[in-house]
Amino acid sequence: MFGFVRPLRGELKVREWERFQSVYCGLCHTIRSRYGLLQTVMHSYDCTYLALVLCALEEEGASCRRRCILHPLRRRTCASESEGLRRAAAVSVVLSWHKLADTVRDERGLKRFGARALQFLLRRGYRKAARDLPEFDARTRDCLDELDRLERQRVVSLDRPADAFARILRAAVADSGTDSRVLQEMFYHTGRWIYLIDACDDVAEDFASGSYNPVILRWQLAQPSLAPVREEMNHTLLQSLAASYHAYILLRPHRDAGIIENILCQGLPEVTRQVLDGTFTNHGGKNRHGSL
Amino acid sequence: MDPYKVLGVSPSATDDEVKRAYRDLARKYHPDNYADNPLADLAKEKMQEINDAYDTIMKQRQNGGYSAGGQSYGGARQDSYGGAYGGYSGANAGVYNQVRNAINVGNIGMAEELLSRISQRDAEWHYLRAAICYRKGWFDEAMQEINQACAMAPNNMEYRRLQNMLSNSAAYGGYRPMQQNDALDCCTQMLCLNCLCNCCGGGF
Repeated sequence: MFGFVRPLRGELKVREWERFQSVYCGLCHTIRSRYGLLQTVMHSYDCTYLALVLCALEEEGASCRRRCILHPLRRRTCASESEGLRRAAAVSVVLSWHKLADTVRDERGLKRFGARALQFLLRRGYRKAARDLPEFDARTRDCLDELDRLERQRVVSLDRPADAFARILRAAVADSGTDSRVLQEMFYHTGRWIYLIDACDDVAEDFASGSYNPVILRWQLAQPSLAPVREEMNHTLLQSLAASYHAYILLRPHRDAGIIENILCQGLPEVTRQVLDGTFTNHGGKNRHGSL
Repeated sequence: MDPYKVLGVSPSATDDEVKRAYRDLARKYHPDNYADNPLADLAKEKMQEINDAYDTIMKQRQNGGYSAGGQSYGGARQDSYGGAYGGYSGANAGVYNQVRNAINVGNIGMAEELLSRISQRDAEWHYLRAAICYRKGWFDEAMQEINQACAMAPNNMEYRRLQNMLSNSAAYGGYRPMQQNDALDCCTQMLCLNCLCNCCGGGF
């Protein structure tokens, strides 16, 4: 479900790319220092985006140089811990936990066992994060229960399950200061896009296994291919991105506007195109480290 | 706030640069881009700020001998679900009016609730449902509902307008997504063209 939100690297300036990486590293360090080293295995790019946006709205934007397990030899530039990073870290940990719970619920066999084991190891960090954002944790649980219900009913709609998911992201930025109203709108639409792009990406797999997939049901796909509905899906996905963008430009970021605009106007449309074409790969090729 | 900061130009910018910056911003925050958007009020404030900044700068410069050309953007396209509505006179006219009022004041929950109580679903019902879905960001269902409304009442211009707004790329407003296949297509075309040219002229 995660890992679709990324910049289009070729269109970023070198210092913007370095800044994006430093936010990624900063978030990782924040997760580690607050919730434990093990939590960082679930670290994702979607939460980096959240961190990037929240940090952009803060007055201060310091960075520091730190070492970590993945990069033990050279110190790397990291965004310094701040309110935005702490929130993104808690959101990341809570979401990862619920994602594992979802896997335990849906899968069988080895995958389920693995998720259980990981959940057991991550439980303490999760409890702490849930204490830090109790409202968000409760909201996430409710939305995922609703999503599970809708999936079990095999509801024929793109928007209804997407709404249940998108409300999780909306909750992630609820009560975060004066810009909360705009942020909620911005992340709701991003959430709808993430849910639907994930569904598109899973069409072949779900078609084979017969699992619930809103895209297959909505268009009554007779073959595991998106080709007949590519235009329509592209349109509805870009509408969400447009709505997200129109919310975003009402914010007054202190920095990183270039990166955020790159993600909204180039990275996400490009992921959309690749997923619909079937050319999307999760790692973006060798050495691309979370960008296209 | 510093008007130059609002427009994102330096105080030493030429009048043309100021005008261009203003025009770009006005296009970005134009009320049409926020029609039926729950954040329309904030966009309006932003637009006002931009207009004020532009006027301030132009007035300052006018006093220095320059005559300003071009006036600030004003009018929004009026797109409320209340006013110009007189076509419908069915059994549910009263409730539909309440639904429109609820949408206009942004109380989407109430509009939804009222609409769900109506069991007889005519074109107007589907139109209002589309308007609600659009506000919520349920773009696919909005599309289905408005198509249904237009199929049931093909001559209703109000329905058509929402259908047009939802169905083409105007739906993105000021958003300009960049998908690389456009560029790729262009390259492929050039490559093909190149091959063709070689075929024609490249013989011995």
